Amino acid sequence: MTATAHDTTAPLLEFAGVSKWYGPVIAVNDVTVRLEPGITGLVGPNGAGKSTLIRLLTGQLRPSLGEVRVRGRRAWSAAAKSHIGYCADTDAFYEEMSGQAFVRTVARWHGFTGRELAARTAAALEQVGMADRASRPLASYSKGMRQRIKLAQALVHAPELLVLDEPLNGVDPLGREELVHVFTGLAARGTAVLLSSHILDEMDWLADRVLFLYRGRIIAAGSLPEIRQTLADHPLNIRISVDRPRELAARLLMVETVQAVQLAPGGDLLIQVHRPQECYRALAELICAGGFQVERLSATDVSAEAIFDYLMQTARRL
Amino acid sequence: MDRISSGYRDWSGQLYPVGLTCWPIARTGVRLVLRRRLFWLLIAFSLLDFLFLFATIYIKAQINVHNPAVGKFVNEVLRSVTGSGETYRDFMFAQGTMTMLVLAFVGEMLVGGDYDRGGLTFYLSRRLGRRHYVVGKLLAISAIVALTTVVPALVLYAEYGFLTDSLTYFRENWRILLGIVGYGTLMAISLSLLLFALASWLNKTVPLVMSWACIFVLLPGLGEMLRKTYGDGRWRLLSFWGDIRLLGNWCFGSTTEREGRLVVWAVATVVAVWIVCAIAIVPRVRAVQVIR
Repeated sequence: MTATAHDTTAPLLEFAGVSKWYGPVIAVNDVTVRLEPGITGLVGPNGAGKSTLIRLLTGQLRPSLGEVRVRGRRAWSAAAKSHIGYCADTDAFYEEMSGQAFVRTVARWHGFTGRELAARTAAALEQVGMADRASRPLASYSKGMRQRIKLAQALVHAPELLVLDEPLNGVDPLGREELVHVFTGLAARGTAVLLSSHILDEMDWLADRVLFLYRGRIIAAGSLPEIRQTLADHPLNIRISVDRPRELAARLLMVETVQAVQLAPGGDLLIQVHRPQECYRALAELICAGGFQVERLSATDVSAEAIFDYLMQTARRL
Repeated sequence: MDRISSGYRDWSGQLYPVGLTCWPIARTGVRLVLRRRLFWLLIAFSLLDFLFLFATIYIKAQINVHNPAVGKFVNEVLRSVTGSGETYRDFMFAQGTMTMLVLAFVGEMLVGGDYDRGGLTFYLSRRLGRRHYVVGKLLAISAIVALTTVVPALVLYAEYGFLTDSLTYFRENWRILLGIVGYGTLMAISLSLLLFALASWLNKTVPLVMSWACIFVLLPGLGEMLRKTYGDGRWRLLSFWGDIRLLGNWCFGSTTEREGRLVVWAVATVVAVWIVCAIAIVPRVRAVQVIR
């Protein structure tokens, strides 16, 4: 096998009707999804099936039903696994090893030998900013340094798909910024990054798309604005800072899609609207016609956290 | 942007074949054990035996060549070092016992830790399968057994042959070579399967050492007690280490008549333990634990 033997015509990652049971417990329930280049967030409460989904796509588990394919190959095959770089959330290292030895060991498992082995190890360590500290034993590393080493071992074979399970846990703000820079750089170069995280704030600015998982099912998939639009039951909250708030409030109440208007203590208007796209058009017309001076206009509940809460409320009712 | 044009390094070299990825796993395991001070401490103790035998063989050979009269006296004094199968068998048994002790303490590092702290994920998410993982780990344990028993025994065998009657010794004692390899293989397979099975379930060093002690100390004692009570020698088969030694004797062709009657039973016991270990290992590698 050569390192470049990729079937680039097949989808990078495809779940087709995948279910996974552990005895009577269903962990993943009829999941059908394709992964595209860019950063995709995987979000869900504890027990939603995130770990199982990741283990299925990294070939550690076989589905009970359906198929997981990576570039057209079954996910548990060696050919499929060579496309994936996995950065696990577990901190199970061989503590006596140095960071460099650990990354080199993983590269060896991937089949690299000789000069290529050394070159790949050095490149991966350089990429995560650990080249100068790689000779120290893993036991002496801080949490952030361990995260970087885990990332280096996932990158060592230049995978097309990088799966990151809680990659920013324990990383200081500066290190977080550096790692995010690495993720976005990889995504810009065409690597698909799947990022599982319970810190929903990260998804707002990091993920191009988000998969929301609940009780083994994908309950929503897409960019955050796209998903927000589908939540018709939950009116969008908009905050506007404007020069004549009372006048605008009076006019807004005439708009059909506006459900409620409230004047906040600071003088801002808080509006609840249905069908946001229609409302934005009407709002723009009102502002232009009335000659209002708008200082700020923002939707306050399009964050991943707000959407996640809405989705959970909806899912629990089903 | 295209991956290659954006700075990604392309490479068209040959990767190590997937089927052979158990070798890097075994290599990693051996290197991890070699880093342990405890290993070197116990090996240093067992090496004293090796150095004693090595020096004795050398001295005996030199004296026999230069002064045959004194040589006869030395041969009489150092009767235990005769170059016969028993010499190597006893040496390997002593080395094996020390290795068995070492393995009890490195089981957590080699196998148990992978389960206890979720390290199995690092292996199974690579381009290697469960069987590569299992074979790699068994090879690592076997390699440690071979390094401490078979290799020094072979060195002594070669030394004895070259320093005494040269090729005649090898021609007449080929059975010893088979005995060394056979006994070594038996120990390697038995200890690796047993350690993997126990460590994959017990994970931690303390329960592992306690179980190890039960199998290698308590059971033989119980067997001896039952033998005395019921007067049936087959109770001795409860000693797994004794069974392996009995089969080692058989490999060297030095079983007594009484032992000869127990060989078939010993084979059955050892194979049964192998099968139980294999049955215990299968569910531990079939699926990664997700729900804890």
